[in-house]
Amino acid sequence: MDQTSESSAGKPRSFHVNWHNLLPWLIPVILILIWQLAATAGWVNSKLLPSPLAVVQDGVRLWQTGELPKNISISLYRATTGFVIGGLAGFVLGLANGLSKISWLLFDSTIQMLRNIPHLSLIPLVIILLGIGETAKISLVTIGVMFPIYINTFHGISSVDPNLIEMGKSYGLTKRQLFTKIIFPGALPTILVGVRYALGVMWTTLIVAETISSNSGIGYMASNAQEFMDMETVLLCIVIYALLGKVSDLIAKALEDLCLDWQTKGGAAND
Amino acid sequence: MKSKRLKVSALLVLLAAWLAIAGYGYTQTRPSSSEKNQLTRVVIGYQKADPADISRQHGELVKKMKKAGYQVVFKEFQDGAALMTALKSGNINYARLGDTPPVVNQANGLDLVYIGAGASKEYGTGVLVKKNSGINTLADLKGKRIAYAKGTAAQFAIIQTLAKAGLALNDVKLVNMDQGAASVAFAKGSVDAWVTWDPYTATAQVQQNAKLLTNAKGLAKNRDFVVSTRSYATKHKAISKALIKYMGQDMAWARTHHTQLINMLSKTLKLSKPIIKLDVERRTYSMTPVTDAIVQEQQKIADVFYEQGLIKKKIQVKDALLK
Repeated sequence: MDQTSESSAGKPRSFHVNWHNLLPWLIPVILILIWQLAATAGWVNSKLLPSPLAVVQDGVRLWQTGELPKNISISLYRATTGFVIGGLAGFVLGLANGLSKISWLLFDSTIQMLRNIPHLSLIPLVIILLGIGETAKISLVTIGVMFPIYINTFHGISSVDPNLIEMGKSYGLTKRQLFTKIIFPGALPTILVGVRYALGVMWTTLIVAETISSNSGIGYMASNAQEFMDMETVLLCIVIYALLGKVSDLIAKALEDLCLDWQTKGGAAND
Repeated sequence: MKSKRLKVSALLVLLAAWLAIAGYGYTQTRPSSSEKNQLTRVVIGYQKADPADISRQHGELVKKMKKAGYQVVFKEFQDGAALMTALKSGNINYARLGDTPPVVNQANGLDLVYIGAGASKEYGTGVLVKKNSGINTLADLKGKRIAYAKGTAAQFAIIQTLAKAGLALNDVKLVNMDQGAASVAFAKGSVDAWVTWDPYTATAQVQQNAKLLTNAKGLAKNRDFVVSTRSYATKHKAISKALIKYMGQDMAWARTHHTQLINMLSKTLKLSKPIIKLDVERRTYSMTPVTDAIVQEQQKIADVFYEQGLIKKKIQVKDALLK
């Protein structure tokens, strides 16, 4: 997007920029329009599928009662804490296993076994081991986030071009310099893909985590509304998840752009 | 370079906002009154709108227990299974359950004890059908798809109802679904009938053009129970006694203050007042120690479940009482 806007100066530029900025929102807007049309025209039972307008009104009402801000902020707290802990754990493990064969032999197959366990099936175990408080909910997010970061960090580090490392060695770089100048920058794009993916996993795990004895959070709001067929709130929660997902993706993408600046510039990372 | 600085500052602002909101969320998760005291903590697990929830919202129980030297903490659960796991692992001390989960869990070897029993809810539990479905008698259920939730009061109610109608379990198509899914499936017409309890029954009657084909009168009492583990209950007899006594007093309040109760419940459940009114007015509220008659009712559930192969072990419900 940026390249096109920078390369074309003058009048056509504004047209290009607008068009490119609007295109990503085309499908969501069309979907919402169809949805509203279907609701107003009475193609669907409004009890089962309320109109977007009704959902927005429900959102405003819940915002005014203070329920929505409370639940969003609590969910955000759980998600962020889980993400930071899980991300760090995944990064450290990925780093260790990418750099040391012994560590890889020791940990990797265990991690691969744990990775594919559905989070829902972990709930009884989490309750028994960690109880029903905040720790339990955050831990579940931690577990969810850890694996994508681990896999991508490990993959990024182990797939750095060996020729580059060889070259670095012949230039007489120390082990530390080798890591900071060659291995880490080389692995960074893959690691950031992991971060982006993990941000998605963070939200999906959180819904599951918030069904463990809770009375707050978006996940609680959604499952509670579902139980009593409060479809407006169910849809509102879906929209909130979608928006939160988009915001976290924006952050990750901006981070990616900044960290990987050196790639497009063709210069070395300077420190 | 300029656009880069702009990007960095936009990112920082976004991150700062994110962290600020998360930090605000953190303060929300802390208990509001951080009073550290010498009171013994008693944790009660409940589900929405059950007798324990009424006690929690009414607020008297907490005050009276505090005077007696106990700090009562309520924990909300979305389903009975998580509630049982939390009870087993000692994260909660008492659990409010329906009539079926204690039987199933006793058969699974959990050493639980009944502490108190609520009033019968037989008028609000039953088989729902659509008004225009053409199902008018129990016999019409033959060959129909009936939604129920496994391991709940609904399972016992449908077994009893079919037995009364002279139908075998495989004369109908039973579909195991949780309440949320069953509610949607019933509204959409994907199932012909739905066995459930209040407030779901009342919701369907008021909102979904449904009628109660039959209630559970004489078939299943669908009482509420307060249960604990034997190890906890043995050591804390005084707490159990006080809890049932004060919960009983809250239930007496609920019996005589329908208007306030309806207001309170329609707010917590986010259901309209006509729904809650229908629910509240066809049931009664109480919380008493478990009598022999109630043990017999529970024994009946255990025997039927054993005959149907739903539990593997024949159990004596009276074993689950504290001597």
